[in-house]
Amino acid sequence: MSGLRIFLSSAVFSFRAQFDWLNPSMWLTMKLVLSLSQMAFFVFVGLFIKGTDAIPFIAIGNAVQSLSWNTVFSVINITGHDKWDGTLPLVLVTPASRLPLFVGRAMIHVFDGLLSVAISLLFAGFVFGVDFVQTNFLTLIVALLLTAFTMSGFGLFIGGFSFHFRNPMVFANIFTFILLIFCGVNFPVQDLPVPLQAVSYAFPLTYGLTASRSAIAGATLIDVAPVLAQQLFVGFVSIMLGYLLFQAFERSARKTGKLEAV
Amino acid sequence: MSQSLRVVYSAFRMAMLHWMADPQWVIPNIIAPFVFTTVALTLFKDSTGPFGLYAVLGGGMMGMWGNTLYSSGFAIEFEKWQGTLEEVMAAPSKLIHVIAGRSVSNALFGLTNMIAVLLIAAAGFRVSLDIANPVMFSVALILTLISVSALGLIFASSFVLSRSAQALTNGLETPLYIVSGSMFPIALLPFWVHPAAYILGPTWGIDAIRLATSPDYASQSFWVGMDPSAAIILDIIVMVAITLVYTAVAIVLFKAVEKRARIKGTLVQA
Repeated sequence: MSGLRIFLSSAVFSFRAQFDWLNPSMWLTMKLVLSLSQMAFFVFVGLFIKGTDAIPFIAIGNAVQSLSWNTVFSVINITGHDKWDGTLPLVLVTPASRLPLFVGRAMIHVFDGLLSVAISLLFAGFVFGVDFVQTNFLTLIVALLLTAFTMSGFGLFIGGFSFHFRNPMVFANIFTFILLIFCGVNFPVQDLPVPLQAVSYAFPLTYGLTASRSAIAGATLIDVAPVLAQQLFVGFVSIMLGYLLFQAFERSARKTGKLEAV
Repeated sequence: MSQSLRVVYSAFRMAMLHWMADPQWVIPNIIAPFVFTTVALTLFKDSTGPFGLYAVLGGGMMGMWGNTLYSSGFAIEFEKWQGTLEEVMAAPSKLIHVIAGRSVSNALFGLTNMIAVLLIAAAGFRVSLDIANPVMFSVALILTLISVSALGLIFASSFVLSRSAQALTNGLETPLYIVSGSMFPIALLPFWVHPAAYILGPTWGIDAIRLATSPDYASQSFWVGMDPSAAIILDIIVMVAITLVYTAVAIVLFKAVEKRARIKGTLVQA
């Protein structure tokens, strides 16, 4: 019961904390502008290079990837804000159980990420004419929910890693943007050099995009179950690795007294 | 005059020292243009046509854009975090001179970003970097850099009052890449976006840079049918005129913003 309380309060506070530097109207504006502008940029590049056939692949890819701004960028930056705002020592002296505290902070970002995808998919349909007639919506919702959850696990993993560095925002930028190269957002993973294709499957988003595109083409949950199972596995491993890194940081911080400026 | 220059130089020097003290800030500045260029180059790897010209030069331009915009927004945010914005505002020097010094240093880093993107494209994707008219290329590049910096000054003035400067920076970056037609012809954009493209100095700058790189681009330039050298000069004239307007607007905005901040006292908690 206490673990659930810590999980929930950690989830709510980590989300509310971002409004210390971002007012709610700007949050909504950014959600709309970021979703549309990134998609538009790559759709126009694709249109220029490959013609109209490239639009659905790119628009759907960017729509699903938009959740990374919440589940990866924002989740990694929780670590940064803990350091900048001086709240890290308070987090580390609390007697609260560490696992719900650590995992809970990413959870509202899962829902925030899903809101970003919903807005982006509307843009894909209404602005760029992506056809959703064949879509199996149950499969799509499950795929997106799992993608948001597992990507927040990936965010926690990089966030746990970032605790060991002075400036987590650098990692937030790197790991949000490189998804555009590795995960099949704008072009199929098979277009990457073969050695890099293996890297793609370390990111839960790669599986999420495959499942989401299949769902939009009409695939059932059973059809995409193997892909979603792999995605869950990668997401779970990410969370546990992130938690272990967080624990290692806490041990080192207590031992050496180095917290914010590692 | 010499006092103003001294302030500009001091701000430039401080910005350079900050960068050298914490060079990891280069990464957020360059990551988006680098990734966007890589994606574009991967998309066109099996295509023929002028795509490399657009992707590489566009990526380089975005490197400059990103750096200037990001740094303009973040310079103010950085002062807020450090608690030094009040001192900067209280000093008898004009705020625009301080920000101008920073903008020059940001522009310099923007240039290195562009070179980095070009080298990555050449080394990683074996894109040819032959430049048909190196002199005009350099002139157009430097003037574009100045134009981007002047636009950065306008953004910086509004960032003084905004608590969400960082978010604004993130949000403005990609729309500017789109509207300026950094990686594709602006003819692909809806017609109602075109006026916004034409009032951006860098839109004309990239046209001049592409013309200076390859005369084959002349058929897609704003000045179709004209001699490439004459077209470059026309692009530059338009860009310089726009840059002068940016500078005048920035001076007026800085005065207004500074006055408002002093009267309302909404500097840091704005």
